[in-house]
Amino acid sequence: MTALEVISANLDYLLLGSWPAGPLGGMALSVVIGLTAALLASLLGLAGGIVLTLGPPLLRRLVAISAALLCAIPVVMLIFWCYFLLPVLFAVDVPGTLTVIAALALIGGAFLTQAVHAGIAAIAAGQWQAGLSLGFSRWQTLRLIVLPQALRIMVPSFVNQWITLVKDTSLAYIVGVAELTFVASQVNNREQVYPLPVFATVALLYWLWCSGLVWLGARWETRYAGVGRK
Amino acid sequence: MKRKLTLALLLAVTATSALADRLDDIKKAGVLRVAAFDSNPPFGFLDAQSRQITGLDVDVARHIAAKIGVKLELVPTNPANRIPLLVSGKADLIAANFTVTPDRAKQVDFSLPYFASGQQFISRKGTLATPAQLAGLRVGADKGTTQEITLREKYPATKVVSYDDTPLAFAALRNGNVTAITQDGSKLAALLANAPDKDKYEIAPFTLTREFQAIGLPKGEARLVKVVNEVLLGLEKNGEAKKIYDHWFGPGTKAPLPRDFRIGDKA
Repeated sequence: MTALEVISANLDYLLLGSWPAGPLGGMALSVVIGLTAALLASLLGLAGGIVLTLGPPLLRRLVAISAALLCAIPVVMLIFWCYFLLPVLFAVDVPGTLTVIAALALIGGAFLTQAVHAGIAAIAAGQWQAGLSLGFSRWQTLRLIVLPQALRIMVPSFVNQWITLVKDTSLAYIVGVAELTFVASQVNNREQVYPLPVFATVALLYWLWCSGLVWLGARWETRYAGVGRK
Repeated sequence: MKRKLTLALLLAVTATSALADRLDDIKKAGVLRVAAFDSNPPFGFLDAQSRQITGLDVDVARHIAAKIGVKLELVPTNPANRIPLLVSGKADLIAANFTVTPDRAKQVDFSLPYFASGQQFISRKGTLATPAQLAGLRVGADKGTTQEITLREKYPATKVVSYDDTPLAFAALRNGNVTAITQDGSKLAALLANAPDKDKYEIAPFTLTREFQAIGLPKGEARLVKVVNEVLLGLEKNGEAKKIYDHWFGPGTKAPLPRDFRIGDKA
């Protein structure tokens, strides 16, 4: 068997897992986990950043502490503890895939909370004053004047965080979720002498995905910048 | 750290363990969740054609599920997360070449052994012939296995390097990261038989221990233990156990190994 044959014989498994005969796995599952986690993380981050800017002091404190805490925990630990400890402590049985999505969303959301907060803070105070003097409320000022400018500044932070999330989906292996890295090790362990082609393929797949994100981010940034310049 | 974690899990479990009987839970759910290897031929591995986990352990698990009258669901596991899966209730049984040890018996219960093996080594040809030569060598072992523990405790002069599973350790041997790797002789024989470059390696001609593999069960589930033991003894009695063994280790296989242990033999 040549390296190429190893890849072609296993490509469908790497991309889709045992689907359609079994559950979805491989690259497809990684994409599902990555997209869901990125979406949730973005929403959490946006909400968290806004709370840090406008929220009541107590809530602000609470969000700041949780975000700091989550940023300090390695993702793999959070996944491990959620998966193995939650069922024991609270008798809730969370499936592996959901655990991973939740852990990635929480940690990604924590980082984005800081990014959104910083992005809003980067907008000059004059913009706020202008909004308030026109009779807008603080919320209206944020939504209509500050946030559209701040989001433009934040695009690179969001794209960075999404890329980190994409790469972190590989940590799902620890709870036996059959994502790309996990199925690749299964294949590698069966074929034994082809680690280079197997993991080169995996690297290529992640690279394609991440550079796709970078490309989208760059396009989004230029479009957004164009709107802002009008 | 892993041991501490399992201990913490264990404490939490014992605190809440006055729950219903697990056998009833399994019947109610209609599913028996068994933690099985996905990377350790021939005990549990991903079949190249069917893309499903198969192997000797899986065959045994299938019979247990059939006896209880429920569907079998396999939870892929590795040597290091077998016990956490069981203790946290993510799996009902472990059927993953699980060696009986007094230490593990503090955290899980064991069925009767259904397989026996001994700790052996694969090395490059001509590099390892006696246990005395282990001193000073870098030896690869699987994280969380009895072989790793034996080496660390009884051969302190050996540098033990831990890997996630056996194929990964074998890859390290190929790359020269370690001089030898250790596992159950049965597993090593199968590993070597499947290796495309098997001419370069050999199984060292000595065995360190005699070990027995059994089904792992949650603590204090007497009824479940009874069912599992009945199945195992029944398999031996009707010849099915020998058939399963021969399918994976018989004369016609790539790694033939004489059967020197019968279920029900004294361990």
